[in-house]
Amino acid sequence: MRWALALVFVLLFAAGCGTGGGDSNEHATVFAAASLTEVFPEIDADATYNFAGSDDLATQITEGAPADVFAAASPKYPDQLYEDGLVDKPEVFATNKLVLIVPNDNPANILSVDDLHKRDVKLVIGAEGVPIGDYTRTVLESMGASDVLDQVVSEEDDVKGVVGKVSLGEADAGFVYVTDVKPVEDKVTAIELPEEAQAVVQYEIAVVKDAPHHDAAHEFVEQVLGEDGQAKLQAAGFGPP
Amino acid sequence: MRRPFEVVLAVSTGLILAFLLLPILALFLRIPPEDLLSQLTSEVAVDALIVSVKTSVIAHAVVLLLGTPTAYLVATRRFRGRSLVLTLIELPLVLPPAVAGIALFAAFGRAGLLGDTLDAAGVSIPFTQTAVVFAIIFVSSPFYIRLGIAAFEGLDPALIDASRTLGAGPRRTFFRVALPLAAGGLSAASALAFARGLGEFGATIMFAGSLQGVTQTLPLAIYAQLAIDFDIALALGAFLVVVSVAVLLTVKLLPSWTRFTLISLAPSGRSD
Repeated sequence: MRWALALVFVLLFAAGCGTGGGDSNEHATVFAAASLTEVFPEIDADATYNFAGSDDLATQITEGAPADVFAAASPKYPDQLYEDGLVDKPEVFATNKLVLIVPNDNPANILSVDDLHKRDVKLVIGAEGVPIGDYTRTVLESMGASDVLDQVVSEEDDVKGVVGKVSLGEADAGFVYVTDVKPVEDKVTAIELPEEAQAVVQYEIAVVKDAPHHDAAHEFVEQVLGEDGQAKLQAAGFGPP
Repeated sequence: MRRPFEVVLAVSTGLILAFLLLPILALFLRIPPEDLLSQLTSEVAVDALIVSVKTSVIAHAVVLLLGTPTAYLVATRRFRGRSLVLTLIELPLVLPPAVAGIALFAAFGRAGLLGDTLDAAGVSIPFTQTAVVFAIIFVSSPFYIRLGIAAFEGLDPALIDASRTLGAGPRRTFFRVALPLAAGGLSAASALAFARGLGEFGATIMFAGSLQGVTQTLPLAIYAQLAIDFDIALALGAFLVVVSVAVLLTVKLLPSWTRFTLISLAPSGRSD
């Protein structure tokens, strides 16, 4: 009978090993903003990725998630974790722009931000506190169009939530990063925003202080900041830091 | 040789109890109780509470009104394809919530199966409170119907037969005999289905989206507040634990309670 309890411990221990504790390959575990979902695996296919809203990732790291690298779509959260002593000094590695996307058949016939004022437009944006949500509000404010927030039908937890609902054709329009458009080109059309209204979208990357794979983490950051990494980021539509 | 076995039983129980209870306890210990209470009066929390109560009550009314006759039919009639019907009812129980979410889009979304029909009727379901109600009904009604079937099947068939031979029609038999006798089991089923609906997350966040005061239910608010204000998330979590405990207690106490009231109500039942 005692073997049953022993087995429980063996199973729990086995689960612990599987999640990276003892993997000898020393690949970095990278917590990255959802908007990096396509490009990061191109830069390093071997790393383990956790893509989500930057704010959620910051919470996970604060709660002790075993991350090696934190890459966020805004300086806000890496700077905050740096102040809390949880990550090394963050560096800007890319910039981005916002665009308005509509489904290809454009059911609400939206050609500009002004058209969002039309009755019954279903607008989907990022939630407040999520980088894309905060940038969207900044852009709308500098365009004097904050009242279109009344048309919002859903506030998503990360930018891919916005992309998903628009590309599914269920929402009429959404604000996303220009780099989110390429993977869904066949489903959505992007509408550029006036240059002077653009928010400053900076991506920051930092090595986590207690990184379980410390060397791999530094290597990963160097790769992203290096020539090859930068070329791939720019090919994906990101701007230089 | 008995003692070591008893020890293993006790240790196993202790370990699993500690594992199950520790996280729930921790939820209450992380911040002081008075802070938990004050967080519950924040705007986000109050809005989420109102949305959750409204959608859950509407969804539950639909589940009871349609689910009770369905459970009675499946429990008391033998027909071809009955086991198929049972399986279909049970399917959403084992279906991952994310699948329920995209399935609801595929059926009722603008680009969905009924999209054109609904559009012609001027109805749009995604991102509305109706969508929240749909999601709740989809995940909670199978719970109620499955347990309701068990409640009706547990009745002594002789009582139903007696009612029929004494001249009561099928409708009267249902309302006067089957329903009161199964009330305990049905109430337990109802409470569990309600709790399940209140906790619905995956299908709602996909099909109804998340907008404070409109479609953001309590579980969605916990998710949205996780990074913004962890204390509100904790407070909402603690609140849902209290509700869940209340539901469980109701379920445990109900059967004896209904038996008691049934006996005391019996004479008035005859005077009709």
